Amino acid sequence: MKILEITASRERCAEAGWYAYDFILGQPMDDGFIEALRPLGSFLYMKMLRKPFFKVESEHFLLKGIRGDAFFRMAVHGDYPEELKKVEKFVMDSVNA
Amino acid sequence: MVYLNNAATTYPKPQCVAEAHTAALCSPPEGQFRSSGQGTGKDVFTCCRENLGRLFGIGSPERIYFTSGATDSLNQLFHGLERKGKKILVTQTEHNSVFRPLLNGIADGIELEIVPCDKYGWVNPEAFEERITDETGLFVLNHCSNVTGMVQEAALFGEIAKRHGVLFLLDASQSAGCIPVDCDEWYVDALVFTGHKGLFGSQGTGGYFLREGVKMKPYRYGGTGNDSNKLVYKDNEYEYEVGTLNGHGLRALNAGTEYILERGVKKIEEEEQRLMELLYNGLAELNGVTVYGEKARNKGPVLSMNIAGLRPSELAYILQNGYETVVRAGLHCAPLIHQALGTERYGTVRVSISALTKRQEAERFLEIMEEIAVAVGR
Repeated sequence: MKILEITASRERCAEAGWYAYDFILGQPMDDGFIEALRPLGSFLYMKMLRKPFFKVESEHFLLKGIRGDAFFRMAVHGDYPEELKKVEKFVMDSVNA
Repeated sequence: MVYLNNAATTYPKPQCVAEAHTAALCSPPEGQFRSSGQGTGKDVFTCCRENLGRLFGIGSPERIYFTSGATDSLNQLFHGLERKGKKILVTQTEHNSVFRPLLNGIADGIELEIVPCDKYGWVNPEAFEERITDETGLFVLNHCSNVTGMVQEAALFGEIAKRHGVLFLLDASQSAGCIPVDCDEWYVDALVFTGHKGLFGSQGTGGYFLREGVKMKPYRYGGTGNDSNKLVYKDNEYEYEVGTLNGHGLRALNAGTEYILERGVKKIEEEEQRLMELLYNGLAELNGVTVYGEKARNKGPVLSMNIAGLRPSELAYILQNGYETVVRAGLHCAPLIHQALGTERYGTVRVSISALTKRQEAERFLEIMEEIAVAVGR
């Protein structure tokens, strides 16, 4: 998947010590894209919602987004900023490559 | 859009507020004592002080001073209020606009003690009284919790504070315009308010009331348009509004205050309570939803909740991006009350209404929450 931009979220992260970033993608996220994120951590996908919501949670980061949107949000613990690059590489290399 | 984040900033505003703001921007600026073209009528600053005085039960509205909001007001008061002792009592429900100035040196040599609250956010007046010592100089009370909507019994606290000679500072940021306030009746020595919430003004407006006889040294000095040859203030004859006031914003705040007075704050309180009852009842029926309060106890226009299986920030994300519904997630800048609620790790989702929230919006929100609760439960 092409990542157009990664921006520090305008909304400050609600949880202390975590920082939020928005991944702006080249196209809207579909089921294939979302399912491909599964290896990154514990995976929740609420397909039954009118706009299905997913989250992927690992020890040091959390991804969340909505199918059909061309962006998702990543929250990273402040002690593990390198996770941002790892997820960026994973999305670019592995998802819908 | 369903907007239920009115505890942060009210939206929409009454039409009269938008018109007043626009008119202010399209008119020559108010004089603020400096220009000669003032005419004989009252200026907006005087009108606004008088209207706020009526709303807050203040018989001396000239003692109301405008600031950029409650945070600015609190910083000024904490910095300069003359207290009889170094100890300051605050409640566990306070906002960071109280905790942070006090814990980061805005007032010299203070000793801070926190009066606890229960799991609803209620503070027992007896718990306040038993902590008063000869060294207690100031008590700060958050009138309405911005987390649980608990409205404290300000009159009781005021009576206790007066009996012990402790200055009583009431933070009405969340209650102003939504819940009756009576400073003179409740022995309030200093009242803090903001303009952009229940008073329907614009962001960047607010102020404080300082009772006559209560001494305060300013932390800001500057031009006032009065007695410009006086360079040094003597005998505590300070001026508290310096620099150019936000005249445009105060025109809007005045219009918002007039709107509240016209509708009646008691009537607004009753209408908001009916709407909050609808929300409490509806949310109580949903599987997995926890509401941190009870409709019979938490009477303000705010409630906090969570849903099992989702963090508050995730529920807020789903509501915002999936349903165009605006709430707020997290600690709501009031970290200590979450220890009483058991939500200190991730916080809550806060739902807050205003006098302009429609019943249909609350009903729509409940429909959306039902859909999410069903999806989470599967």
